[in-house]
Amino acid sequence: MILAGAICIMSLSSCEGIFSDIYDEPVTTSEYGFVEPSTKGEAGKIYVNATDYKRWTYIDFSDERIDTLGVDEAEPADWDIAIHRYDVKTNGGAVAETTESDIYKAIGLGNIAEESFVEDIWTTETIITDVSNMMAGYLEYKESYYNPEMSKWLNVDKSEMPPIYTPSERVYVVKMKNGERAAVKLENYMDDSGVKGYMTLRYIYPL
Amino acid sequence: MKRAIVLIGLGWTLAAVASPYTEEELDSIEKALNKTLSEVVVTGTRTPKLLKDSPILTRVISAGDIKKSDATNISDLLQAELPGIEFSYSMNQQVSLNMQGFGGNSILFLIDGERVAGETLDNVDYSRLNLNDAGKIEIVKGAASSIYGSNAVGGVVNIISRESSEPWTLNANARYGDHNEQRYGVNLSVNRGKISSSTSAQHTHIDSYDMKNGGDYSRFYGGGTWNVKERLTYRVTDRLKLTGRAGYFFRERNAQTNVHDRYRDFSGGLKGLYDLSAGRNLEVSYSFDQYDKSDYMVASKKDVRDYSNVQNIGKAVYNHTFGGKHILTVGGDVMGDYLMTYQFEDNGDKKQLTADGFAQFDMNFRKDLNVIVGGRYDYFSESSMSHWSGRVSGMYRKDRVTFRGCYAGGFRAPTLKEMYMNFDMAGIFMIYGNPDLKPESSNNFQVSAEYTKGLFNATLGGFCNLVDNRITTAWSQGLQGMVYTNINNVSIAGIDANVSWKTRWGLGARASYMFTKEHVKRGDPYSSSTRPHTATMRLDYTKRWKNYGIMAALNGRVLSNVTVDEFTSTSSYEETESVKYPGYTMWKLNITQSVWKGIDVIATIDNLFNYVPKYNYSSTPSTTGISFAIGLSIDVDQMFK
Repeated sequence: MILAGAICIMSLSSCEGIFSDIYDEPVTTSEYGFVEPSTKGEAGKIYVNATDYKRWTYIDFSDERIDTLGVDEAEPADWDIAIHRYDVKTNGGAVAETTESDIYKAIGLGNIAEESFVEDIWTTETIITDVSNMMAGYLEYKESYYNPEMSKWLNVDKSEMPPIYTPSERVYVVKMKNGERAAVKLENYMDDSGVKGYMTLRYIYPL
Repeated sequence: MKRAIVLIGLGWTLAAVASPYTEEELDSIEKALNKTLSEVVVTGTRTPKLLKDSPILTRVISAGDIKKSDATNISDLLQAELPGIEFSYSMNQQVSLNMQGFGGNSILFLIDGERVAGETLDNVDYSRLNLNDAGKIEIVKGAASSIYGSNAVGGVVNIISRESSEPWTLNANARYGDHNEQRYGVNLSVNRGKISSSTSAQHTHIDSYDMKNGGDYSRFYGGGTWNVKERLTYRVTDRLKLTGRAGYFFRERNAQTNVHDRYRDFSGGLKGLYDLSAGRNLEVSYSFDQYDKSDYMVASKKDVRDYSNVQNIGKAVYNHTFGGKHILTVGGDVMGDYLMTYQFEDNGDKKQLTADGFAQFDMNFRKDLNVIVGGRYDYFSESSMSHWSGRVSGMYRKDRVTFRGCYAGGFRAPTLKEMYMNFDMAGIFMIYGNPDLKPESSNNFQVSAEYTKGLFNATLGGFCNLVDNRITTAWSQGLQGMVYTNINNVSIAGIDANVSWKTRWGLGARASYMFTKEHVKRGDPYSSSTRPHTATMRLDYTKRWKNYGIMAALNGRVLSNVTVDEFTSTSSYEETESVKYPGYTMWKLNITQSVWKGIDVIATIDNLFNYVPKYNYSSTPSTTGISFAIGLSIDVDQMFK
């Protein structure tokens, strides 16, 4: 009787569950970079895989190009901002945080006071390159420049496990070293499956 | 039974002669006494048995107790009613149970005798086990593996739904408290000839809120639940009863701004109970339970499932009474267990078939002597593992004292998760399953003495659980990660004392205390965090007049501090440091006023003495101090009587 019941039960279509169609299927993409370029004042979209602690992703707005290189490798020739996990640095530029959450409202913010722009700082214990020894009580860091203003786009409170992620939902204006400006907003820091480090950026360039 | 009637009669006569109580009050006393003597329980033996005669010590939490506790779900209730139980937080504020030294994966939770699917960090979703339609809760502590199989090594908690014999009943209730805590419930039951229907719906909500002090966590994650259930019974003939049920549960937790954790459960079942002849019956049932977890991405509005546990269970139980008093119970279960989880490699899935057969002989030699022997054989397909466990228990009554003793072999087979986990813990380390795990096995001993006189009851018991091959995680140097493994010789022993007393003038009191001591061999990758001393108590008063009634209940629980030997390294288990977690006491005052036919107004003050943890450990309650709630319950059917 038990065997018959077993065969019966395992053959039921419901043995792997019901109502699976109420859920969304995660869209997996390997297309990174300027997936929607910004043109004529329209916001574009950049998708970055920043899951690797040992890599920087360099973004060049004018050439609409991204380069992903190891933290020990030399920086590329031309780039404007770079992303490592949720950390940001600029190529000699500066960043101002606006109070806007709508990226199009940044278009009207052409005259942000110079003193609002924050330049990069040199840091020795911010860019984490290895977390595998966290349980043993230490992390590995890499010295680097780091822009504290733009890195406010995602607050990661590590005082609890798991950390609490709070996006600022603000638009940031990046001033490049040649004086050009771009508006950038972190739209998402996860992929559809909730894996953190997949960064979706909305941007307008030139501003 | 004759003796019981004599007792009731004697009590009634004495009361009538010696006291000036009203007829209503005496009627209430008789009912209470009658109920105590005739309470029927099913959980300890899987067949109906008088509580007073059962050799398996069973704690019953009645519908009245549930009302007095003002509890929303099973965790609220068990903590209020029983010592030796603690619900605390595991990582990410996931609720974790410790019951007499056993964790959530060793305590079997049942709804009307049926298992519930799904787990998070080894615990079922306790918020799913709401009390909106609960008639009573039966708790059997100690190993019940020989009756229920794996996961019942530490005990069984069975939530039994309310059944009404009235033509119809309708209750609507609402509760509102601090932190925007809301609870709304509706229960409708209808009896029409051969058909009975019971419908229940409940919604709860609480806001997220900041704790007053920091610690392991600084913010309580709020959220909400929806729970809908329907049970339909069709009495085909006098001998055959069919019951169908269906349920849906949804919970959303707002742990992160951009990701909301969602939990869903779909359940259903069909059960047939056939009385073959006097003393012979057969119960056959099929049960389906699917528990899903998904992440709702606020930014992309996508709801992506990353966990699903589906259990299909077929069950048959046959009872045969010999000589009008000895009962043979034989039966079997077969379960298809499907698990898809983000904790498997590439979000993979695994299936397992478990099957078992069990037999139990309930020997009622005399009214004051009962012995039950039973055994069970289990098979698990994925590990090709089989296990035998047995149990013998006895009850002997001498005058007003009932002695009980029980030996039970317990076991817990490794779960699919424990066998096949392959989980990257945020890039920090990996957790690996172990297909070669052995089952946890245990020898469990329990003795108790119960004294009952009228409405006074006192129980003193002791227990000892010797657990071998306990499953836990330990650091593997070879894999440079955590791996599930077996450890040796964990022993848990304790003393359990309970006193309850009801008076003729409506006053009732109950106090329960438990001492628990857990011993783990030094060097094993497991450290006990079980609090040694715990107690619960209640003082209540009930008084009814013609058009007004009042019930006041003061519930308290006291938990001692506990010193835990925590490992100084995750990769070595030799060096430890003692960490002391503070004890605390929580009190709750609940006043229910029956203001008119079936209308109750409820006022609750929780954390009466304004306990605020100075540091929020995972084992401290998530309270910001004293809190208030008001509620309303309307029995609509009472208005038409």
